[in-house]
Amino acid sequence: MIQTHPTIRLVNRNLTISLNPGFLVWQVIFPLVYIFVAGFAYTALIDSVPFGNVNLDYPAFIASGMIGFNIMNSTLVSGIIIWNDRRHGMFEQILSGPFTKSNYVLSNVFTIGILGLVSGSIILLIGFPLFFKSAEFNSLTIPFLVFASIVGSILFGSIASIISTRLKSSEGFNVIINTVFLFFAFVSTAFYPAQGAPEPLATGFYLNPLTYLVDIIRAGIFGTFTEFVILEMTVLIAAAAISFIIAIKLLTKLDL
Amino acid sequence: MSCITTRSLSKSYGQVTAVNSINLDVRSGDIFGFLGPNGAGKSTTIKLLTTLVAPTNGTIEILGIDAIKNPLQVRKKIGVVLQQPSYESSLSVENALEKYAMMWGVDRKTRKDRTAELIDVFDLGEIRKRKNEDLSIGQRRRVQVAREFMHEMDLLFLDEPTIGLDPGARRKLLDFLRSKAKTGLTIFYTTHILTEAEYLCDQIAVINKGKILAVDTPEQLKNQFGQEKTIKIHLSTRHQKLVELLTGINDCEIDFDTGTDIIIQSSRAEIVLSQILQILIENNVQVEELSAVPTTLEEIFLKIVGDSNASDD
Repeated sequence: MIQTHPTIRLVNRNLTISLNPGFLVWQVIFPLVYIFVAGFAYTALIDSVPFGNVNLDYPAFIASGMIGFNIMNSTLVSGIIIWNDRRHGMFEQILSGPFTKSNYVLSNVFTIGILGLVSGSIILLIGFPLFFKSAEFNSLTIPFLVFASIVGSILFGSIASIISTRLKSSEGFNVIINTVFLFFAFVSTAFYPAQGAPEPLATGFYLNPLTYLVDIIRAGIFGTFTEFVILEMTVLIAAAAISFIIAIKLLTKLDL
Repeated sequence: MSCITTRSLSKSYGQVTAVNSINLDVRSGDIFGFLGPNGAGKSTTIKLLTTLVAPTNGTIEILGIDAIKNPLQVRKKIGVVLQQPSYESSLSVENALEKYAMMWGVDRKTRKDRTAELIDVFDLGEIRKRKNEDLSIGQRRRVQVAREFMHEMDLLFLDEPTIGLDPGARRKLLDFLRSKAKTGLTIFYTTHILTEAEYLCDQIAVINKGKILAVDTPEQLKNQFGQEKTIKIHLSTRHQKLVELLTGINDCEIDFDTGTDIIIQSSRAEIVLSQILQILIENNVQVEELSAVPTTLEEIFLKIVGDSNASDD
């Protein structure tokens, strides 16, 4: 019998234990509330939002921002898997089986990559009616979105993994991960533009990788490819690579 | 054929030596008991043998494979039930078994068959649909042990597998392990319940403070360390001068307990007993009950570990 690769088997297991109804509600309902309730409610206050050389209506702006937000949220799974595996003894159990630490780390990367792609696609499909008027799909749109999903997943998944390897108490893990991800969510351009924001806040937006992720997604959807977006892609790759290396080092050093 | 061979195996954590130059030879098909008090180095030895941690020194050969050079090759052939619980909280018992076998690359049909078989063997039928997070400690332990039999292996490490199990479940597990050993599975077994080790194991090693103190069959250990026997005498009434009467007897320890019970420990129990009975008869002390208690593995264990602690002090 031909066996599937150990990493694939671990991805299968990761997806099985992660995809519970609570997670799916979190991944679909929560963004939808933002897109439809906040998106339309704020339309009375916000006529249009400048992005690059185009003006977007607010529902289109927030719907595209929610794709990045959702990719980030789905990567929380990576931290939760590692945290639960350590807490419930599965980390040692897996590593006493036919798996290497590299299999384990890679399986988490693939899991968050898949979840990032799927959740990004769900919001893209649901949000499509809102921004199809402003959308300018072209040959670069899909590669941009796939790039953003994968690199964003690796980046935020690595951050969640780093947090999960450093904390021992469940209270500490929950507080830190929620605080960090809350900062990422709301000090970013996912919900509002950097232009026009007070300068310290606008600076804060660009210290946050979610801003870069959201900008790249918007560039893909609304066809605003500028040199600044290329710079943002470079920064995102560098941040993802650095945090991924740190996450792997910390994971491989975990005491057994 | 040797299934586990270690030479000068050591593991230190900073200044603390958890395992100190141990040599083990475990024969294929044996149930090998590994006994020791808390913190003796049992779990660290298991982590070394299962390649979870690397040794500071020494060699490990598992199933003919150099475990330090080829840890993954070793892990593909062994099963491990560690001391701490391990479970997927969100999965039901049935799914946990099935998913674990999938992780090991077991085909779908075999997974289904084995799940049904192990649910039956480990009495998990009533809780098969229940999530792991909703199980009691004992139920979770049963699932954890059952799960390890979902995949093929040549060697199984069980680190205190009966923690939290009721006597019925414990006996059922021990009998199941015996039946598995008869099919050729080698089992490396640690426990604090020495009657289990006596019931189950072909060979027993005693470890204390990281060092192996004795390795042999339970019977040989008893012969080697258990020459001292215990005799219990129950008298019908208290006797005022009993202590005085028996003081002169050599080569034994006498505990007068409540005054009507006398417990004698001696390596020359037969001679001591005849002397005591003679004295009791001469003084009209009536014996109501007399029993000789065979040496248990627990006494042997306590003696070996106690001697080792005393010599260290």
